[in-house]
Amino acid sequence: MAWVTWRQHRPQLLAAAGLVLAFAAAAVATSLPVHDAYHRQALSSCLPPSTRPGCDLLVAHFRSEFAWIARVGRYLFLLPGLALLVGAPLLAREFEHGTFRLAWTQGVSRRRWLLSKTLLLGAAIVVAAAIVGAVAMWWRAPFDHVDGRIRPASFDVEGLVVPAYAFYALALGVLAGLVFRRTLAAISAAALAFVATRIGIETLLRPHYLAPLHRAVIGSAPVPRTGDWLLTDTLVDGVGRRITTAREDLAVLHAQHANIDAQQYLASLGWRRLITFQPADRFWTFQAIEMGIFVTLGVLAIAAALVLLRRRPA
Amino acid sequence: MTAALEAHGVGKRRVGKRHRREWALRDLTLDVPEGSVVGLTGPNSSGKSTLLGLAVGLLQPDEGTLHAPPVSDIGYVAQDAPLYRSFTVGEMLDFARELNVRWDQRLALELLGSRSLETKVSSLSPGGRSRLALALALGKRPKLLLLDEPLAALDRLAGRELLQVLMDGVAQTEAAVVIATRVVTDIERVCDRIALLCDGAIRLEGTVEELLANHRLLTGARRPLGRIRGVEEIVRERHSGRMLTLLVRTDGPIVDPTWSVDEIGLEDLLLAYMAPEELPAPQPPSDLRGRLRWHG
Repeated sequence: MAWVTWRQHRPQLLAAAGLVLAFAAAAVATSLPVHDAYHRQALSSCLPPSTRPGCDLLVAHFRSEFAWIARVGRYLFLLPGLALLVGAPLLAREFEHGTFRLAWTQGVSRRRWLLSKTLLLGAAIVVAAAIVGAVAMWWRAPFDHVDGRIRPASFDVEGLVVPAYAFYALALGVLAGLVFRRTLAAISAAALAFVATRIGIETLLRPHYLAPLHRAVIGSAPVPRTGDWLLTDTLVDGVGRRITTAREDLAVLHAQHANIDAQQYLASLGWRRLITFQPADRFWTFQAIEMGIFVTLGVLAIAAALVLLRRRPA
Repeated sequence: MTAALEAHGVGKRRVGKRHRREWALRDLTLDVPEGSVVGLTGPNSSGKSTLLGLAVGLLQPDEGTLHAPPVSDIGYVAQDAPLYRSFTVGEMLDFARELNVRWDQRLALELLGSRSLETKVSSLSPGGRSRLALALALGKRPKLLLLDEPLAALDRLAGRELLQVLMDGVAQTEAAVVIATRVVTDIERVCDRIALLCDGAIRLEGTVEELLANHRLLTGARRPLGRIRGVEEIVRERHSGRMLTLLVRTDGPIVDPTWSVDEIGLEDLLLAYMAPEELPAPQPPSDLRGRLRWHG
């Protein structure tokens, strides 16, 4: 089976390998000046709980100088999704060309045929995606030291979740290929489903993997450490009722007219800011949970494909 | 003689919305004696491909059971001989070797003839593709070989060549063969037995000699029909003017002098069985030459 899988999916696997190499090369080329600047300005000494003076300016300067890298880096979340381009043709192309009649009438049952091909391709794709995740982690390390890595911009492109996303995308592609029997339709459907699950889980589930921490902040006191993932930040009055933005604006206006510091005025009213956040040190726990979710989803997709494959009239 | 393929009470619903309540196959029994070539024929969508698909496991019966050898013992060539177009001939052989427990590379190469293994499948002629597909199926050394319309895409010369390769391969593997085809004249030469499939059931089955020996065309003046000595069953009757033509299955010599008795060719015999019974008789053509034909 290994030779057959390799021979049939050679172009996609070579493209995947090329993509990983190209990304790694680009990462090294673009990241050297960033790492250099990070060490030259000794930014590590600015990390909390350090109290080195002038750090605010240094960090702000570092952020703005390399902002474009962080921006480009966000699009890395698209890379593991490309695995569905490997998965979708696996069955769809056999249907399009009628070759399933050849492939499934050899000595290997179609169940084993599908399982071996999916797992072999899955292994290759997972390795490629793991490399991407690791390189991205190294690439973004200077930013992550400053800003933490639990926020989506870095969480989505680093570490364990990257191979899990890729595996899920591959499995979705395989399932869509079986359902739609056309490569193009399968790719479109799988892409839609992939994006929907990714966004859905990121916005609805991920903030609640572990109960978020709460903190009440009076006045202009600093929000939690910069590395944390801020979920909500609302102004409440003394008995915990939410203050609307209109009321807050009015109060600030009032303070300005009276020539008092606005924050002090709000604090004097008994108003506080309620903050919920996920602390930075939960990164690996969250990565493991999210990886588990996407691996499970991928396995379910493959199981569904195996069930459908048996029922589906050919 | 052992039966290689038995379908008993097999039902298979047609796929597709319009045919949800129709059956592609019902109550079917087809025995294929080992070492013989059975021509499975019938009109379009009579269930030939469905039966082969069921036998090789591409389809699942909706009811009934089908006894066939395990898939590893069946060589199957689907209609249009699907192959991987980007592969070379040699890679197609590697593909079959990889996916089959039993694989006879020498036989496959021999059946392929002198063709270069470096040739791309996409650049093969239709005849070359069919030959490669057949070599792949026979390289498994199957006990049962199923061919679905193997000659449909081929010209007469390529078809003849393919049948020659087929007979070579069958002689070496001693496989039982089922050839599904609409046009039985193409394969008449190589068939030991003929089975006619109509509306999902076997209408007629036997060796070519048996079928030809047991059927006669009777022509005579139009008359009320009673029992005719030597006739077991009147299969079809056609009135044209004052004349009456009967296709009958015989169980003895027909001696009645009021009938003129003619032999019938295999193709005409099968066509007569396929024609619906209530079809109005077409006018006989004016230039009836040589053998009397059932269908003008």
